[in-house]
Amino acid sequence: MSDQPWEEIEHSADWALRVRGEDLRALYENAARGMIALAGGEADPDQPAVSHDFALSAPDAETLLIDWLTELVYLIEDKSLVISDIRVARIENFSLEATVRGTPGGHFSKHIKAVTYHGLEIIRRDDGYEATIVFDV
Amino acid sequence: MRKQDFNRIAEYVWEIPTSYRDDMNVPARLYASERLLEAVLGEDDKSVEQLVNTATLPGLAGYALAMPDIHQGYGFPIGGVIAPRVEDGVISPGGVGYDINCGVRVLASRIHYEEAAPYLSDLATALYRNCPSGVGKGGSLQISKSDFVDLLHDGAQWALRNGYALPEDIERTEENGRLAGADVSHVSSRAMSRGIEQVGTLGAGNHFIEVDMIDEVFDEQAADAMGLAPGNLVVQIHSGSRGFGHQVCTDYVREFQSAAQKYGIHLPDRQLICAPFQSPEGQAYFGAMNAAANYAFVNRQVLAYHIRRSFEEVLAGKVDDWHLHQVYDIAHNMAKRETHVVNGETVEVVVHRKGATRAFGPGFEGLPPEYRPIGQPVLVPGSMGTASWILVGTEGSMAQTFGSSCHGAGRVMSRREAKRSVHGGTLRTELEQEGIHVRAGSMSGLAEEAPQAYKDVDEVVKTVSGAGIARKVARLVPVAVIKG
Repeated sequence: MSDQPWEEIEHSADWALRVRGEDLRALYENAARGMIALAGGEADPDQPAVSHDFALSAPDAETLLIDWLTELVYLIEDKSLVISDIRVARIENFSLEATVRGTPGGHFSKHIKAVTYHGLEIIRRDDGYEATIVFDV
Repeated sequence: MRKQDFNRIAEYVWEIPTSYRDDMNVPARLYASERLLEAVLGEDDKSVEQLVNTATLPGLAGYALAMPDIHQGYGFPIGGVIAPRVEDGVISPGGVGYDINCGVRVLASRIHYEEAAPYLSDLATALYRNCPSGVGKGGSLQISKSDFVDLLHDGAQWALRNGYALPEDIERTEENGRLAGADVSHVSSRAMSRGIEQVGTLGAGNHFIEVDMIDEVFDEQAADAMGLAPGNLVVQIHSGSRGFGHQVCTDYVREFQSAAQKYGIHLPDRQLICAPFQSPEGQAYFGAMNAAANYAFVNRQVLAYHIRRSFEEVLAGKVDDWHLHQVYDIAHNMAKRETHVVNGETVEVVVHRKGATRAFGPGFEGLPPEYRPIGQPVLVPGSMGTASWILVGTEGSMAQTFGSSCHGAGRVMSRREAKRSVHGGTLRTELEQEGIHVRAGSMSGLAEEAPQAYKDVDEVVKTVSGAGIARKVARLVPVAVIKG
């Protein structure tokens, strides 16, 4: 596994990220970090940081990953939240508990419209998990 | 996918028979010149496989189609058109995509380029200042929640009541800027929250405002009806339903995951998620999608209002007549209930156009009287820095493609590759040297939309025109580009 747990891969119209994690918790955290890096947020230094807690459940692991990233897309757009810290505390049976910390009122260089199911599959590898996620931008 | 997997039906029409893959329900047809076809057969290009995937959906009439600006999307290819039957077909939120009623509006003027040339830099600056753009930026309108519900229900009529539209704008908008089936009760509070502050904003990505000069007229009668003359300026607006539509699609793609199981629909790609059109789930999405469509018509109308303000601000007293009249406004991401003749039979269908434009031919009653003899205007923006086109729909588009045609140039290069090979600042300088004024919020965003990342729009237009699914009216060349 390379040091960088996510990489942008070729997709003609949109964005695609290949994400890795040593376990599912790391995969979900790294997917969020990769997406946030692509969005390119710049925080307003005058705004106080806030925390958001999540408890999500889904019928399968892929849907849970989409639900999780979709929650963050909504916060980025609705609150202009520049996320600085991501912690997935627990993940089991397609349920997840997580906390993110960030600063509202920031600016972003890229607009993520949505997270798609296109070709999404969480794959088990010898050294952990991998998923390729296509974002509509 | 190889060239020999296609049967050549006509010079510009290539068919993939149902024998290509067991799960196809109808043949797939791609409209392309030989050059455009070869360009999408590369090993890494999934667009034709995506076209074949759409041919597996239940209840399809005729063929699954793709226009010559086809490129890889998620689920549907961009440029894809299908027509599920109302009776036994489906509606697919993943097929329509996240930017519901993304579309194009063209405003035209009687201002000659030479007359305006000294003021174009100021005009570009005023347009950038007056038309909010970029990521997640708030709009210029303060709208109460109850007024917002009226906006979603009434579409362009709301804009007319509130002084953002002229009556003739409404007549020259697809569906008069209002889809009657909008149902706000099927819209989530998240969509409402994302949308309420973004009315009258351009957004980022491939959305833009462009001032063009009419380079050449190919059809005098149609150009006269639209008020287009060589050398005059026109404005194109490319935007959609912003965060509102993105959230409506997100909500229903998620909700339909279980609906597809419930109705026993098997899909080659989960993003093609769909439900029977007549099911409660299908109708709920259709109501919410129509509300998003109305939002987008208002969004482009309010942008048009800001553009007119900018023209007045910069050009009043300096040119003979600074006014802008609307040529047309069309959607290119939508599912619409329409009636078509397929194999001699009249059928009610839900035409999904994903990166494709409605292109109804002459005689269509929904057109204003001056357009009925010529057909519906089809607005085809090119890539930044290259030509754009105004076409009209034909009898051929009604007979072959459920009244549909191309929507743009179509990408050939990934955003990653474009960023790697094009420097935004250098591109801006090159465009300025060609006499194109550029105002952009993000240089890397500019690089991703570089002209070399797109197909040759003239080849795309040659194809739809050669195939008889649209007719050339005028070619436009850019003089100012505004991007988020």
